[in-house]
Amino acid sequence: MNLRQLLLHLPRYLGASGSLRRLWWSPSLDTISSVGSWRGQSSKSPAHWNQVVSEAEKIVGYPTSFMSLRCLLSDELSNIAMQVRKLVGTQHPLLTTARGLVHDSWNSLQLRGLVVLLISKAAGPSSVNTSCQNYDMVSGIYSCQRSLAEITELIHTALLVHRGIVNLNELQSSDGPLKDMQFGNKIAILSGDFLLANACNGLALLQNTKVVELLASALMDLVQGVYHENSTSKESYITDDIGISTWKEQTFLSHGALLAKSCQAAMELAKHDAEVQDMAFQYGKHMAMSHKINSDVQPFVKEKTSDSMTFNLNSAPVVLHQEFLGRDLWIKQIGEAQEKGRLDYAKLRERIKAGKGVTSAIDLCRYHGNKALEALESFPPSEARSALENIVFAVTRFS
Amino acid sequence: VHRWKGLDLSQIPYINVVKHLTSACPNVYSISRFHHTTPDSKTHSGEKYTDPFKLGWRDLKGLYEDIRKELLISTSELKEMSEYYFDGKGKAFRPIIVALMARACNIHHNNSRHVQASQRTIALIAEMIHTASLVHDDVIDDASSRRGKHTVNKIWGEKKAVLAGDLILSAASIALARIGNTTVISILTQVIEDLVRGEFLQLGSKENESERFAHYLEKTFKKTASLIANSCKAVSVLGCPDPVVHEIAYQYGKNVGIAFQLIDDVLDFTSCSDQMGKPTSADLKLGLATGPVLFACQQFPEMNAMIMRRFSLPGDVDRARQYVLQSDGVQQTTYLAQQYCHEAIREISKLRPSPERDALIQLSEIVLTRDK
Repeated sequence: MNLRQLLLHLPRYLGASGSLRRLWWSPSLDTISSVGSWRGQSSKSPAHWNQVVSEAEKIVGYPTSFMSLRCLLSDELSNIAMQVRKLVGTQHPLLTTARGLVHDSWNSLQLRGLVVLLISKAAGPSSVNTSCQNYDMVSGIYSCQRSLAEITELIHTALLVHRGIVNLNELQSSDGPLKDMQFGNKIAILSGDFLLANACNGLALLQNTKVVELLASALMDLVQGVYHENSTSKESYITDDIGISTWKEQTFLSHGALLAKSCQAAMELAKHDAEVQDMAFQYGKHMAMSHKINSDVQPFVKEKTSDSMTFNLNSAPVVLHQEFLGRDLWIKQIGEAQEKGRLDYAKLRERIKAGKGVTSAIDLCRYHGNKALEALESFPPSEARSALENIVFAVTRFS
Repeated sequence: VHRWKGLDLSQIPYINVVKHLTSACPNVYSISRFHHTTPDSKTHSGEKYTDPFKLGWRDLKGLYEDIRKELLISTSELKEMSEYYFDGKGKAFRPIIVALMARACNIHHNNSRHVQASQRTIALIAEMIHTASLVHDDVIDDASSRRGKHTVNKIWGEKKAVLAGDLILSAASIALARIGNTTVISILTQVIEDLVRGEFLQLGSKENESERFAHYLEKTFKKTASLIANSCKAVSVLGCPDPVVHEIAYQYGKNVGIAFQLIDDVLDFTSCSDQMGKPTSADLKLGLATGPVLFACQQFPEMNAMIMRRFSLPGDVDRARQYVLQSDGVQQTTYLAQQYCHEAIREISKLRPSPERDALIQLSEIVLTRDK
């Protein structure tokens, strides 16, 4: 069973409904609105985004190449897919993660890997002759760089799975029986560990200690970033008392570090010099930041938003809004938007939209977008470079 | 015992193991951990034993401080969680073996009395990988105490505990990469993979009795012995270019590791929880059939049903425990552990004599006689 098949089967195990025709970025748009992803929520950019990505996929050659994530062929993970079925009916987050792997292409298995492949191609062949066996090139990308793209996805997915562990002493009766939630935790830990072990294995095969160190430190960053995200309580309706600079540091750890360091590692694999490596790092970092801010801004700029729609109180517009307002006034606003202990998100959203948080967030998104474009200038013009630019244009568009 | 030469015990199905044991040594049943005595107090090189833990520790001073330095984290709670088990109260069994093996190999190779910094780092990494897997295992098993204190998951919750485990693993990987040797990276990466696959093996069970024993030994190798075997191999690679030596180091670690776990499984039946720092009959409560149970099942076939339902019915755990204690399961598992230790000694004895080599021999005997 390959990944595609596995994921095709997963929703059936999970009891998910809805169209599965558009698992990946395919050109047809008809089912976008049924997919609860960022693209579905943003009414005008999807066509653009889809186009950007499907063109990018053509550039890197066979788009399914790193989807064959070898470990997913193994019995272990197929067994997990079967086991996950037992969790249907509970509220274990592993279910959401597994569904997300199928439905949510914006956060899905591919974007990071795709960027790693594009930047590899944009940088071009190695200036140094190497005799390494990993150095056969297909569509202008070394096979070791393709492995790296896959490893990046493995690490990202592993942490996605691990961030969905639940605390057993905080369970609500609506979550489902304790035994099932324990079981869900067990499967989530094991599958995350399994993905990580495969990532380590892939890294070892690359035979490059610098790349191993870069990706290991990316993993450490990511773990710290996820820790920050997890430790902000979603229930208390109080935001963290952090300024935008702390927010940026934490967001780099949780959303930027893996892509930045993977892009750098892709350059190292082709023996590009320190300057090129740094530019690749900068592109990965700023594109990821821009991307994250874009999705943070969506709940505030969409033409149609349902009143019940919630948003993250530690997202960029809210943190900026808080900074403009001052902590005390902000706490007051949150208090005013609460009714009988429940937060009225529609009301709070209007308050935030009335302030400067949203426009500053958009500015910040464009700032990072520009930084990403600047980094690309040191790469020679090519269709791969254009594709990387188009990704930036897509994530900085707010119309 | 010589008949065991060259045999890979983990490849032999259960029934054959028993046949082999009984034919090789007809009076096996008289041998038990409790009667086992160290044959002589002299080492093979004629020197008087010193405490192998003391000898190994000479190169490990500041081990836990150095591990804590590898965990470069700004968040104080995450740092506290990651450092929680590096409190200097563990046995440091793995680092000790690794340090002794490093010296034994260096002396064997060119009589060097020096331990390389990279070899010492392997000792740190071995302890870190071990600890990362403990933190995850405790969440998987919902364990509440370890080494006489609360587990990370009981104090900070499962969500954070899993991240602490991941963090320790990433720190170990960074340290490993900085050694700068791709062969060593591959060797220790194998451990990470084995640990996960071992955990998967533990999840499943086999109906067929002989398959069940092979399954158990394979799980034991992956979950416990692989780390010891491969970190021994890693220091040998760093210290000596001869592949024969690498294989000796690996085989020593593998055999000692399996023996260590077999005795651990025995202690789960014979020790009281105060000594172990963790509850006993823990394996049965988790539904796991370890060596003593599998041997006992030979004498009491009625245990089969309990094994298959993973001791899930009320009273199963107590009844299984009684069956095991009435059977020769404990003695037979201990005997099997002795065979692995003999094999370990046979391997390590191929190295040139040194105090460290002899300490490794002694250590394999301590593995058999330990009571906690």
